[in-house]
Amino acid sequence: MALLADLVQNTLDGIALGSTYALLALGFTLIFGVLRRANLAYGPAIMFGAYAATWASLNFQAGLLVLAVVAVSATVFAGAYVERLCFAPHRKGAAAAAMVASFALWMQLEELAMLAMPRHLYPFPALYEGGPLSLGPFSLRVEALAMLLAAIAVCLFLWKLLYATRFGIAVRAVIDDPRAAGLAGIDVPRIFMLVFALASAIGGIAGFLVAASQEQVTPMLGMWSTLKGMLAMMLGGLGSLPGAVLGGLALGLLEAHAHWFLGPQLRDFAAYLLLFALLALRPPWMNTRSAS
Amino acid sequence: MLSLLAFPATGQRVSAEMNCTFTGTDFVYDCVIRLTPATPGVQISVGADMPSMPMAHNIRPVKAKPGKRPGEYHATLDLDMTGEWAVKLRLSGALRDLLVLHYEFTESGTAPRK
Amino acid sequence: MDEYALGVLTNIGLFSFVALSAYLLLLAGELSFGQQAFFGVGAYGAGIATAMLGLSLPLAILIAMLLGALAAALVGLPTLRLRGLYFAMATLAAAEMFRILFELLHWQVLVEGEPVGPDGTQGFRGIRWIFERGVEAEGFLAMVWTLLAAVLLLFFLVERSKLGATIRALGEDPALVGALGIDVDRFKLGIAAAAGALAALGGALFAHHNTYIEPRNFDIMLGVHSLAYALIGGLGTALGPLLGVVFDLGFLEASRVLQEYRMIVFGGLVALLLAWRPRGMLDERVVHWLKARFS
Repeated sequence: MALLADLVQNTLDGIALGSTYALLALGFTLIFGVLRRANLAYGPAIMFGAYAATWASLNFQAGLLVLAVVAVSATVFAGAYVERLCFAPHRKGAAAAAMVASFALWMQLEELAMLAMPRHLYPFPALYEGGPLSLGPFSLRVEALAMLLAAIAVCLFLWKLLYATRFGIAVRAVIDDPRAAGLAGIDVPRIFMLVFALASAIGGIAGFLVAASQEQVTPMLGMWSTLKGMLAMMLGGLGSLPGAVLGGLALGLLEAHAHWFLGPQLRDFAAYLLLFALLALRPPWMNTRSAS
Repeated sequence: MLSLLAFPATGQRVSAEMNCTFTGTDFVYDCVIRLTPATPGVQISVGADMPSMPMAHNIRPVKAKPGKRPGEYHATLDLDMTGEWAVKLRLSGALRDLLVLHYEFTESGTAPRK
Repeated sequence: MDEYALGVLTNIGLFSFVALSAYLLLLAGELSFGQQAFFGVGAYGAGIATAMLGLSLPLAILIAMLLGALAAALVGLPTLRLRGLYFAMATLAAAEMFRILFELLHWQVLVEGEPVGPDGTQGFRGIRWIFERGVEAEGFLAMVWTLLAAVLLLFFLVERSKLGATIRALGEDPALVGALGIDVDRFKLGIAAAAGALAALGGALFAHHNTYIEPRNFDIMLGVHSLAYALIGGLGTALGPLLGVVFDLGFLEASRVLQEYRMIVFGGLVALLLAWRPRGMLDERVVHWLKARFS
């Protein structure tokens, strides 16, 4: 009976964690779907945004809403910088060069953030001051609920955007076949830029929520976001938006259960093993898009 | 430099301990190093890098100055940031060795990593 | 030469091995984020061999290379059919699994009354073979660079041979290579094993240079850096990765004047450089041009 209770609690925690991963994966997938490239500077751009918000919080005692706006704007700004420098110049071929360039900017963004704020840990205002909710014997943190709601909201928003607007049609056309889209009169470079900004904004939301629910920011946020986002994206099938969400949730659930039963190191090991095994066995859903 | 081709006392192991205080300037630390056993004629060069990113964050090695007591040395370390650093003590002269010690550097001082 | 400059030159040599490892795979058309795992396998293997089993350094290096090749084959076998980002992520996952295994490795023996050996996240201290034999810093530097020179010579010979042409063809057009009657799978596995052995060689030397290794030394940072060195230096010649390492470590050290803004300047330079030359400084075109001018 205790085992069942553990499983349920872990599942609740896992869904919460998975929502964050889903947001990160959505951002990665948008960029990958449209550009066919992995953006290694995505996590650091998020960290840049979170650090910008932290700076605003420390210097101006800004409210949570302002901080969220700052985080999102800063992430979008950093994302635009990365797009211009790493992906715009490498339109055709040279995928490896684009990726390594994004890695160089990863270093750069991380260093910029750490120069501005060199301490290893900074406090961030709490998203919610109260304690966790109790659902019978189980507890659910309000921050986790917020994360889940945010993920659902973003999904719905993206759904609407991609399927009920002209912009969305253009984006889907570019995802399907950039050349054909270009021939049909769509301004493909502009779509790239806008999708990048959209992905960065989603990342900024994720970063803000993570900072606010953990009530702190550390320099590890950049690497962590990149790693988890890419893992979740690949688990769900490269290039698929619903896959990104499912991959994120799956990763969260796996981690929550593995952490409880096996400890933190084996938890990470389990996630990597799962990804490696899936890639080696290549189930049908993983071949959604060719990867350069 | 060639004069430092002293033969190491093979088989003799030394250990070292370090205590640092934060000088108030970011992120400069005054450190005292103690060698056990206190062997005379040893020069120490102190370097440090961050275990998680040794390429991006490391400091140029500084020569430690001998202190008042045998086996005691002083060095001033100028670090990029707080956090955990792997301090590398390169011994030369009467003893040749490389000791690596992990310390957590904070605003108040240092504590050995545990 | 001052101790510090010796250290920098030695590090350049050491990291060239793992950069060349990534380069070899790039030639064969594969992006690997995971060569640091084999660097680590070589480091731990050689460290265990000398500090715990009392073997000599040359023997330890050979054992390390063998272990590196085996580990690489272990990773390479299930991932033979993967390409592009799929392959890259698989190597990343595998490398992280190796790193976690290092974190879980606890094995110590008593040497002169002191426990010596890998102690999980606390690392592996006391790899003092070169200090116990009185090998000077210059001597070790010479050893590293002699081995590196031998490896480079091997690369040059291979580049001129049919083997080299096949490797590059694999990178350009794998179907063509298959059509020529070569078992592509076996060939790729061989390349992967060679790259693993190469990285392990560097790792073995690294362990003895530092006397102390820990799992964090072999994380993703090292992997992506190696790939970056190979790509920035240029894919036209084995000197490319070397150039990449010199550019990073040399620039890093030389620009202590810039001190705080090092990474920012360097990161920006790399992105700009790649925008200008996507296949690195010494890419195939430059190498062809140089060869034409000097022959």
